[in-house]
Amino acid sequence: MECCGPGYASPADAIKAPREKLLYTIAIYTGTGIQKPDYLATIDVDPDSPTYSQVIHRLEMPGIGDELHHMGWNACSSCFDDGSMSRKYLILPGVRSNNLHIVDTATDPRAPRLHKVIDGADIKAKADLSGPHTVHCLGSEIIISFLGNAKGEAPGGYLHLNKEFEIQGRWESSMGDIKFGYDFWYQPRHNVMVSSEWAAPNTFMPGFDLEEVGHLKYGRELHFWDFEKREPIQSMYLGEDGLIPLEVKFHHDPDSTHGFCGAALSANVIHWWKDDGGEWRWEKIIDVENEPHPEWPIPVPGVMSAILVSMDDKYLYLNNWLHGDMRQYDISDPHHPVLTGQVWMGGLLGKATHVNGVEMAGGPQMFQLSLDGKRLYVTTSLFSTWDNQFYPEIREKGGVMVMIDCDPVNGGMKINEDFIVDFGKEPNGPSRCHEARYPGGDCTSDIWL
Amino acid sequence: MGVSAGQTYTVTLANRGNETYRVDARRALLDSLRDQGVDLPFGCQYGGCITCAAKLTAGAVDQRRQVALNNRQINDGYVILCVARPVSDITLQIGVEAHDRLYRNPFLDPLKAHELKADIATPKEV
Ligand code: FES
Repeated sequence: MECCGPGYASPADAIKAPREKLLYTIAIYTGTGIQKPDYLATIDVDPDSPTYSQVIHRLEMPGIGDELHHMGWNACSSCFDDGSMSRKYLILPGVRSNNLHIVDTATDPRAPRLHKVIDGADIKAKADLSGPHTVHCLGSEIIISFLGNAKGEAPGGYLHLNKEFEIQGRWESSMGDIKFGYDFWYQPRHNVMVSSEWAAPNTFMPGFDLEEVGHLKYGRELHFWDFEKREPIQSMYLGEDGLIPLEVKFHHDPDSTHGFCGAALSANVIHWWKDDGGEWRWEKIIDVENEPHPEWPIPVPGVMSAILVSMDDKYLYLNNWLHGDMRQYDISDPHHPVLTGQVWMGGLLGKATHVNGVEMAGGPQMFQLSLDGKRLYVTTSLFSTWDNQFYPEIREKGGVMVMIDCDPVNGGMKINEDFIVDFGKEPNGPSRCHEARYPGGDCTSDIWL
Repeated sequence: MGVSAGQTYTVTLANRGNETYRVDARRALLDSLRDQGVDLPFGCQYGGCITCAAKLTAGAVDQRRQVALNNRQINDGYVILCVARPVSDITLQIGVEAHDRLYRNPFLDPLKAHELKADIATPKEV
C-alpha cells in the first residue's frame, strides 16, 4: 500500500513537510492555587495569521488535579503503510489523577475536542499502574510508561491500549530487575527499546528532596529491552555520571543504533550505540559544569530535564532548567559533539530575566522542534511541585513559550523577537505550559519501522 | 481504630473566616469537606502527591496512610487531607496560601537525617 497512512515515508520526507501552523501545549493549574482544570491550549504559529503567537483555543479537562505533563499521538509514521490509520488523537495523561484523556485534534484542528477519558481508577484496577508519563504508538497499538503501581511504588510498567483506546493490560512480559521507570524509545529494526529512570510517583510527586538521591530513591540506570519479547535484557549502571537519567531518544534514522539520554541531575548527555561486535556501549559525551551562584553555598547544577534530536539527526538540543540556557550541539559525529548554539531565557543565574518584554519565571524546560529543524518552541515549567520549590514566583507569573530560530545548516540559535506566549495572562489566571506537539507530527514522536 | 459509628468532629477553617464544618471521624477530610462545598486542591487522592496538603494548627488527625510528607513537613504541621481522618476537633489552614513552608529549595535548605521521609529517616540525635 502506498503512502496513505499517517506521517511520512522517511525522516527525509518529514523534513520536507509543510510548515506547522498550529501547535498544542498542555497548561496546568494543578498545584498553582487556581482551582481550575488543566487544559490543552492551541497556539497559532502561522506568522501570516492575525492571531499569530496567541492562544486561540483552550480545551479544559473534565476535572481538576490531573497535572497534564507529556502527551503522545495515537499513530505516527510507524503506521505509514496502514491506510486505515490516521494521526487523529492526542493522548494526555494526568500524572497525579492517573486519568488518560483522548483528544480528537482532527475534526477541528484549531479547537480539539475530548473524545474519551480512561478513568485512572480503571487503570489501577486492571493493570496495577499509576503515574503515567511517555506515550508511544507501535503500529496501531499504544504503549504508555507508568512510573508506579496502583500505590505509587516503583517501578511501575507499561500500559497497553488498542487503537480503540481499550485497556489491554500490561504491555511488558517482565520488568526484570528494573528499579524505576520514566521515558522510553524503540528502534524496531534492531529489536531494541531503551528505558530510563526517574523515581517512584510517591517520591517525585511531592517535590524533590535531594537527600533521597543518596538514598537511591532516584534512578541512575538505562535499560535495554528485547522489544519483541517485551523484556529487559541488559542494564547500564551510569553511576554519578547518570544521576536521574530522563529523556531517551534514538536517531530518527531507523537503521541507526545510536541514541542519547539526558541525565538531569548530573547534567550530562549519555550516548549509547551498538559496537562492531554487537555489544551495546555507552559513554558520556556532554558534561555541563555546575555554575557558581552568589547566594548558594554550592554551585548550581544545570538540571538537564529534556533533550531532543533534530529530524535529520544532525543536532541535539538540551536545556539547563536551573542555569537558564538552551544549547544546540552538532552530533554528526555522535562520539564528539560540538557546541554550535546557546541562548538564555530565565534561570537562576540572572542571565536573561526578560525575554521579548516578558519577565521570566522558571527556565527552559520542555521543547519541540519543527520538522525542518528551524523553529524550536520552548516552555518553562517542569512539574508543579518542583516549580514551587525552585521558582516559587511562577505562581504569580505563570509559564512562557519562547521560539528560538535555529540554523539547521551552519548551526546557531537566536531567540525570535516576534513570538512569545505569556501564560501569565491566561483568562483564568497564570497557568504553566509544558510539552508541545504539532498536528502533523514532530521530532519527538515519529518512529520508522 | 476503635471509632464508634456516628462519631463526628468540628473542623474550623482558620483562613476561611473560621467557618466550621461537622465531619465524620471515619471519612477522609478531603471528601467530607468537598461534600460540604469547600473548594480544595487535590491530585492523586491516595496520599502520595502532596497537592491536597493543609496546615493543622489545632487538634489531631490520623494520617498514617500518607506517603507524601517528609518528617520536616509533618513537624511543620502539614496534613494530607485525602487520607487524614480527624481524631479530635481540629483547625486547618487550607489551600496553597498554607503552603509557605511546604516547598523549599533542596540545595539551599537541606534536610537533616531525622527530617527525611519516615522510611529513610534516622532518629534525631540528642
Ligand atoms: S491528593 Fe495527592 S496526596 Fe492528597
